[in-house]
Amino acid sequence: MTTLNRRDFLRALGITGSTSALSACGLDDNWYKTPVESILPYVVKPDQVTPGTYTFFATTLTDGPTGRSVTARHRDGRVTFVSHNRFAPGRPAIGAAPLLELQRHYAPDRITGPRKGEAAISWDDGLAALAGAMKQSVEAGKKIVFLGGYTSGAMKLLTEQIAGDYAVRWEPLGYEAEALASEQVFGTRQLPFYGLDKAGYILSFGAPFLGGWGDADMEERYGTARDPNVGHRVARVAWVAPYRDQTGANADDWYAAAPGTEAGVARAIASLVATKTGATDVATLLGRVDVAAAASASGLTVADLESIAANLVSGEGIALPGGVSGSVELAAATYLINMALKAPAERFHLGGYSGLIHSTDELDEVLDLIANGGAGVVVVGDIDPVYALPDAMNVADRLSKADLLVSVSSQPTATQALAGLTLPASGPLEDWGITNPREGLFFLRQPAMTPVHDTRSLGDILLVAARGAGLEPAVPAGIPMPTFAAQDWAAYVREFMDKVVAGGQVGADARWIDALQKGVFGVPRVLPPMLDAAPIAWTEPTALAGGLILHTVAHHLVGDGRYADQPWAQETSDPLSGNLWGSWLEVSQAWAEAKGLVRDDLVSVKTPTGTVELPIEPRPGLRDDVAVLAFGQGHEGGGRYANGYGVRASGLFAEVASGAWTPAVATVTGTGGRGTHANGGIVTTMRSTTFTDEDRAFGVHVSAEKLAAAGDAPAHHPGELTGIHHLELDERLQAKGETYENFYLPPDHSTYRFGMTVDVNACTGCAACVVACYAENNLPVVGRERASVGKQMNWLRINRYWEEAGGHDDVKFVPMMCQQCGHAGCENVCPVLATYHNIDGLNAMVYNRCVGTRYCSNACPFSVRRFNYHTYQWPEPFNLMLNPDVSTRTMGVMEKCTFCVQRIRQTKSAWKDQEGFSAVVPDEVWQNTPACVEACPSRALTFGNRNDEAAKVTQFAKSGRTYEPLQELNVRSAINYLAKANFHDDPTAGHHGGGHHEAGHDEAHAAGAAHGHDAEGGHHEAAGHDEGHGKQGGSAEAHGAHGEAHGSNHDEHGSAEAGAGAH
Amino acid sequence: MQGTENPNRPATFGEANRDIIRVLLKPSMGWAALFAISTAAMIYGGWCWYLQLVYGLGVGGYNPPVMWGIYIVTFVFWVGIGHAGTLISAILFLVRSKWRTGVYRASEAMTVFAVMTALLFPVLHLGRAWQVYWFFPYPNQRYLWMNFKSPLMWDVFAISTYFTVSAVFFFVGLVPDIAVVRDHSTGLVKKIYGVLALGWHGTMRQWHHYMAAYGFFAALAAPLVLSVHSVVSWDFAMAITAGWHSTIFPPYFVAGAIFSGCAMVITLMLPLSYAYNWEKYLNLWHFEQLAKMCLLTSGILTYAYGTEYFVGWYSQNPYEWGIFYWRATGEYAWAFWLMVFCNCVAPLPWYIRSMRTNPAVLFIISIFVNIGMWFERFNIVVSSLAHQFDPAVWTSYWPSEIEWGVMIGSFGWFGFWFLLFLQVLPAVAIAEIKELIQPPTKAALGAVEAK
Repeated sequence: MTTLNRRDFLRALGITGSTSALSACGLDDNWYKTPVESILPYVVKPDQVTPGTYTFFATTLTDGPTGRSVTARHRDGRVTFVSHNRFAPGRPAIGAAPLLELQRHYAPDRITGPRKGEAAISWDDGLAALAGAMKQSVEAGKKIVFLGGYTSGAMKLLTEQIAGDYAVRWEPLGYEAEALASEQVFGTRQLPFYGLDKAGYILSFGAPFLGGWGDADMEERYGTARDPNVGHRVARVAWVAPYRDQTGANADDWYAAAPGTEAGVARAIASLVATKTGATDVATLLGRVDVAAAASASGLTVADLESIAANLVSGEGIALPGGVSGSVELAAATYLINMALKAPAERFHLGGYSGLIHSTDELDEVLDLIANGGAGVVVVGDIDPVYALPDAMNVADRLSKADLLVSVSSQPTATQALAGLTLPASGPLEDWGITNPREGLFFLRQPAMTPVHDTRSLGDILLVAARGAGLEPAVPAGIPMPTFAAQDWAAYVREFMDKVVAGGQVGADARWIDALQKGVFGVPRVLPPMLDAAPIAWTEPTALAGGLILHTVAHHLVGDGRYADQPWAQETSDPLSGNLWGSWLEVSQAWAEAKGLVRDDLVSVKTPTGTVELPIEPRPGLRDDVAVLAFGQGHEGGGRYANGYGVRASGLFAEVASGAWTPAVATVTGTGGRGTHANGGIVTTMRSTTFTDEDRAFGVHVSAEKLAAAGDAPAHHPGELTGIHHLELDERLQAKGETYENFYLPPDHSTYRFGMTVDVNACTGCAACVVACYAENNLPVVGRERASVGKQMNWLRINRYWEEAGGHDDVKFVPMMCQQCGHAGCENVCPVLATYHNIDGLNAMVYNRCVGTRYCSNACPFSVRRFNYHTYQWPEPFNLMLNPDVSTRTMGVMEKCTFCVQRIRQTKSAWKDQEGFSAVVPDEVWQNTPACVEACPSRALTFGNRNDEAAKVTQFAKSGRTYEPLQELNVRSAINYLAKANFHDDPTAGHHGGGHHEAGHDEAHAAGAAHGHDAEGGHHEAAGHDEGHGKQGGSAEAHGAHGEAHGSNHDEHGSAEAGAGAH
Repeated sequence: MQGTENPNRPATFGEANRDIIRVLLKPSMGWAALFAISTAAMIYGGWCWYLQLVYGLGVGGYNPPVMWGIYIVTFVFWVGIGHAGTLISAILFLVRSKWRTGVYRASEAMTVFAVMTALLFPVLHLGRAWQVYWFFPYPNQRYLWMNFKSPLMWDVFAISTYFTVSAVFFFVGLVPDIAVVRDHSTGLVKKIYGVLALGWHGTMRQWHHYMAAYGFFAALAAPLVLSVHSVVSWDFAMAITAGWHSTIFPPYFVAGAIFSGCAMVITLMLPLSYAYNWEKYLNLWHFEQLAKMCLLTSGILTYAYGTEYFVGWYSQNPYEWGIFYWRATGEYAWAFWLMVFCNCVAPLPWYIRSMRTNPAVLFIISIFVNIGMWFERFNIVVSSLAHQFDPAVWTSYWPSEIEWGVMIGSFGWFGFWFLLFLQVLPAVAIAEIKELIQPPTKAALGAVEAK
């Protein structure tokens, strides 16, 4: 018998023990576990694939007027992020929409293959069925109808070739009023281009140009207009509408016109402008305008209108039309304002979008044709008219009368649910295409990855079906164009490019590949607008009355409902209310108070066509007779993230009249119940009171005039325009002749001290940065229930401060993320050193070391840390979207922003490979490094190395409007905020936050400011700034010498350079 | 003068032995019922914690940025409770205060069990409780150490030291009494007590060493009364959170701890005295002294509250004043005013002698103080976090059922150990009681017989 000696026993014990411990790790789904995955190397590596490296594809995700050329970041067979395309015109940034498209691409409830009714069929059968139905339709003399959203370029041509005049291009919150008005005024149905960057005064009648309205670069141009460094001017924004939405909240002046009178106001302003500029052609078209009547109907004063007109003329103004509820007449009147201003073409011209835009009336006619049995095949694309149109329009009934209703949507929708045949089309990341977002400019689309599901390109579906049905192109082939004979959709697109776009010049492979690589072809064409109008029959303005006037607006991210199934769109807080995952009725605070209702109280909203029940959100920025309900929620036939959240707004409206959602008169009564709408952590709107923001300096403003004059050049005293009197600790000590002693050594940032500046003046609250952060850093989505108690995981949030300044409501959107403090509250308190200060100045976080005491979060004065309360799941195929450079976190671990440290690493490594081991990455290379910076459409965020004196981020941090929230805590944050320009209040004028000024008193204002400034210099105790400065610099050196190098040259904003925010 | 002597003491050593050991012989129905309730609560708390481990901390009512809730509140509460025991057993021993003899054993047991209860919470509240060993400086290949700058780290050392010292001190004090129990028992029980008694025979030499050792441990434990709760207070005071970041915290916390601890001693021992017919050992004279301690510390606390508000107002620091103003007027104002009532107002009747010698009043006020002190920690932890610097993230927190369950479980856990202690160990220090009795000399015996 063999004996077991001690060594063998221990060996056996070790093996069995560790094996059982390992196997226990995967026992229970809910238990903490490390997911077990197999990593296998390629046996034969495919061409052009290097595991672990990115491949970039220039492509286009969104179509229509908001088309944006992007670069898809492809790695290991999947796209995980979309970046800007540096070849696209304008300053490149992406905004939220392309990222939501990316998420839509991986939506778990996408339709995975062709279906007949509910039953899965093969593609051959599906295509044969479609071809057969088309053939029958043609033989029976019935129409083939195509219903889709705004599409230009190749797809527009193909659908027209198939359906002819019955290729309808319509979107529920589209631009039909604008397009119809253009037809009326300019004789051509297209959208104008608004050069906001060239304007000094922007007047909007409700067009949410900072909330996805207009072309994709709108926010960028707004950012330029607000940039004091461009042309020494800060554009003033005026908002004439009964409510302020996210865009309206950014406005400097709000003119709360009564609902229904906006067109009258616009016409009155147009006539005032025409008188000033002598634009007789416009005056003729306007007819006789009674300015006083228009003013009184709207509740504004004649002086208001005159001041707007004067500002428009003197300030290089531009007028934008109404939003979702803006009528054709309003749009026409705004065009006439711009014509009366004789704005140069760079500011206002035609050619913004000349793709097809059909009105709801035209859609209605086609639906009538279908209802009368005139349509053989109805192909519905990426729109959902059953959901989006009012019930009174009987869309579902009428569509069902088609012989065959085909849905080519790969997203489940209410319309798709009716379809007899569903042939899911590939998404934009899987498809070819060429679109035409502006006259003369073409964006190319190419597949960036193989389809996630068994879907096919819509072009291929239509081509195969058309050939199978033996259709003749319905478009006369007068000019060279691709035909149904194209081998496939890719060939069709290339042929379109060659024949239609480039006039036969892209034939060669090399040129085609060059165009494809850049993703952009051509240049925008400027079409000077020419009045070509018959006399317009204006109606006299009458205010709507009889209850609360219900307006609908696009949901800030869900839009018209298309992104309702995208959890990022649902879980990103609404910029104004902070709410998420649902619907809420926005009403004025006075109204709620009068009714005895508070936030979250349930109300029943009754209009002549429908009733819904939802919680209310009382907030400022609404007239007392107005209620606002966001469009896009309340789905029934959608995916898991869309169904059952919120209410469907369209049910409350009777009809979409002449191109716009006319506000409905609603009776709103409290039901006595309490709603539970989820709130993303923004507290109910705040006004300045002693204990809120005013004293806390999270959102700060400066005088617009002074800012325009000073720009962001380094100021004598950084932050001198803000009126904030923060003495830096060390300055105070030095004034007393004491030295700065710190128990701990200052952090060593020898090469890099990464920092950021956040321009509150440019931030619009659009939340693109938040979405980008979700995408880049694998942030989990927690769902409505958990988000309703603030447990969502956004590392970056947009704070909103709604305060009074100079007698006006001033709304500031302040993006708040980890400030990467030099003396961080969080780092010292972590018992296990899971969070620490790294050599680049980042508050790094070792997820695997975290034990979950959450102490760091409590000690963070900015409250920007997020805790994994659970192990969150990414339902397949969302897991494919995860960024492979960032680990996912498990239950019980704290997480936070690190300026996208993985991107910083990549940038550094790439630079080392390129320039040598010790090369320091220059400023311009850092520009777009963090995902939020890359996404910000108005360029409010600037990233860089603050050790680099010449870096933009360092320079901005010295400007006259720089401020650091909570500077007095001496946390030495790496983020400087740049204060917002304010036209009503100058905080350095000695009445800090008091705001006793009325609007428009500019002269008095300037005088007051000068006075206040002088007084300031007098009462300030510091002996003299220059002297103080010199002293500071000297002592900083002394510090460096004895090792307490607090003020050493490496310090992020050491006293020597920054000279303190003090003034 | 009234108050320096126990007016109602046992007559002889034998009577003392019998009275105190009597309760160990057979559990009463009342004890059994309480023990069952405690055990059930403990198991329920354990179940709640199990759910938390499985599903994550999200089962709690945390609403960021309120990242700490009633786990930490209850943790501080229990650490505070512990302090009175050490104060009574060590500091009062060193100053030779006679009234401690009756209450010190049970209050020391209370200390040990309260610290044991408190020790649960740093583990219970962790996101990844299974990694709790990372708190300790164990040698490892990767040279991973803890962060000695973190107040939580100091906590680990302070509380583990405190637990060790209190447990040893408790046990050392027990040795002569265990010997008494051993002498009164038979069979296996006698063997067990015999081992625990460490061969105590009460010889002169043993007493000599014993008293030296006891004094030494008392001296060792005494500073812990001040240090441990100071360290606990640094968990808050060292973080820059407004409402926490205050230099007044250490003395304020220590006073609060003694306040709550003395009140808890009254709460626990007043019923005990009546249930076990121990009026001779534990009577109103003792409780009156405890009530006086409470009065003193209540005054200190009231002063500290006032100072916090004065400094908040005087600084005109918007964050500091903002949080204090909101605490008294905002969503948690009820908790604040409940705290003020319980801690500052409720003990005031004790200034009247008849009130502090009335068992019902003593008991009711001590309950108020316990509640008030729990809410004091609630106010500090929760309201400061709910209203931090950035107004955009102001929020509110209310504990979930799971958190309440775990908290109830902690009371069950404490009750379990305390009741067990009552049943197996002498809850009154027999040896020390005997010091106050006329020694059984011949003269004394003669006097008794003559009666």
